[in-house]
Parts: sequence; C-alpha cells; structure tokens
Amino acid sequence: MNGHADGPELSAYLDGALSPEPRARVELHMSSCADCRAELDSLRHMKLALSAAPRKAMPADLALALERRFVEGAAAPWYAAFTRPVIWAPAGALALATFAVSLWLRSAATLDEIPLEPLLAAHARYSAEALVPEDNLVASNYSDQLSDLGDAPDYE
Amino acid sequence: MNKMRAEEFAGLLRQTGDKAYNFAYRLAGNEQDARDLVQEAFARALEHSGSYDRARAFDSWLLRILHNVFLDGVRRLAHRSTVSLDAPAPVEDGSWNDVLHAADLTAPDELIRRESIDMVQLALERLPAHYKAAIVLCDVEGMSYDEIARIMDVPVGTVRSRIHQGRLLARQAYEELEKRGGRRS
Repeated sequence: MNGHADGPELSAYLDGALSPEPRARVELHMSSCADCRAELDSLRHMKLALSAAPRKAMPADLALALERRFVEGAAAPWYAAFTRPVIWAPAGALALATFAVSLWLRSAATLDEIPLEPLLAAHARYSAEALVPEDNLVASNYSDQLSDLGDAPDYE
Repeated sequence: MNKMRAEEFAGLLRQTGDKAYNFAYRLAGNEQDARDLVQEAFARALEHSGSYDRARAFDSWLLRILHNVFLDGVRRLAHRSTVSLDAPAPVEDGSWNDVLHAADLTAPDELIRRESIDMVQLALERLPAHYKAAIVLCDVEGMSYDEIARIMDVPVGTVRSRIHQGRLLARQAYEELEKRGGRRS
C-alpha cells in the first residue's frame, strides 16, 4: 500500500465490512502509519457518537393511529360499520325524530278531520234512549201498544 | 403474490414501528416530519404489500420505502430551493445560544451529555440526504453494507463511499458546532 489507507476502506475496516485480504492489508499498513491509526480513531469516535444517540420510540398515539388506520380498517367485515356506536347515535336520533314528527302529524290530522257536533248529537241521543226501559226499546210506539190492548181477551 | 392479511400487517407494524420511527426521526430531525414519513411509508407498504418478497426482511423493505418517501420530500423541497441530495451543506451561522434549547437547564453532567447528543443530531441535520441516510442506517441502525445497499438501491461500493464521506462531513459539522458553542467539560 503506497501512501495512506483508502478512506472508504478505512471506514469499511471499522465496520467489519472488509473481506480477509483487504483487511490484512489495512492492518499491516496501520501497524506502521500513525496518521492512519489516528484517522481510524477519529472515525471510531464519530461512529460511537452517532450510535450513542438515544433511540426514538414511536409515540403511543401514532402507533394507535396507524393500527386503527391500516389494520382495523382493513380487517373489518362489511357489516362492521353498523356495529359502531358512532353510526348508531345519529341513526337513533333520526329514527326518534321521525317517530315524533309522525305522531304530531297524526294528532293534528285527527283534530282537523273529526267534527265535534255529530259526536255530541250521538251522545245526547244515547242519553235520551237510556231513560226508556230496556224491554220497550224495540216497540216504543204507544199507538201500537194501545191497539194491542184492544185485542185483549174479554173476561166478562 | 398476495396482499398481506390485516393480522400479518398488524404484527409487522408492531415489530418494526420503533425502528421505522427512529430512522424517520434521524432523517427528518423533528417529530412532526418523522410522523408524516412513517405514516406515508406504512401506507405505501400496505398498498404495495403484494410486491413484498417474504423471503427478505420486512424491516429492510419498509426502510427502503421510508427512505424513498424521504427523498421524494427532499426533491420537492429542492425544486423550491437549492437543497442538494449530495453536495455538502454548509454549517449555518448562529450563536450557541440559538442552538441550545433554553429549557435544557438541568444538572451539569446531564447537560453535557445532552449537548453532545444534540450536537450529533444537529450535525446530522446538516448532512446531504444520501450521506445522512447511509450513516444513520450504518451507525444508528447497525445494518450491514449489503442491507444498506438494498435499502438505498445502490451498489455496495457506493454505500461504502457514502458512509465514509458522511462520517467525515458529520465530524466536520460536529467540530464546527463545538468550536462555535464552546463545549462545557
């Protein structure tokens, strides 16, 4: 090896990425070259500084969001949407509102369409007829009753 | 190849979520962009799950997608400004007070450790996208050159070159930050 060790080769040596032959060559050169040893030390310090940085774990809320977005959404069967409370809340409210409106419309129509007078007249007639004895309800004509008396047997 | 079932995807999501988020955070440099990157990467992974080769590691495949999402964003940004994927970015001017968070006033030892970690992250943020991805995958995620080559979709020789160049740039940026801020020790 003439001059100094090749830079990328020095980094590869540091990373253990050299095959046996070039590795032996670099080691032989460094045994007699203080500059290359110093350069290797400097690169090693930089590598250690980079690897010493604490690892960043994925924030819990991001992990949850990813799982919801990519896993739950993908795995859910077609009917799953109907089992979620978020679907049922507006659906229930809509059904309740529809029922209330239909009740109101029905009661309004009842008040408008049924007149009160025939009901009162029917009530009055029923009250009057209720005064007549029950067995005379069919034959309530007194003329007919008097003529019936005329056909009565003579007891003399 | 069939698309993944939801249960299978859920398991992979739990297994690889932290790794994907850590990679995204180191690339993006902030939480909001990291969240967006991860969400988009998982969305694309699910959409293209039919093309996933189950003989290979899922995390490598996912990180490759995430890396592509990141590069898409960088390219969109490059259209609007002068951001480059390869060219070394200059260390920005600014005092140490601008760099340090005011809320980080805790015990001295902890502060020194945190300053050092902050400076590493700041140095990373100054790297061009390709170099940053290469050294994050190698030094932070501990992946082999072959895995990195698959994720970045480049030859192993290019990976080797980017890792070395990335370390030199990160060291330069770190020393620059240290010089301007005056590391307390």
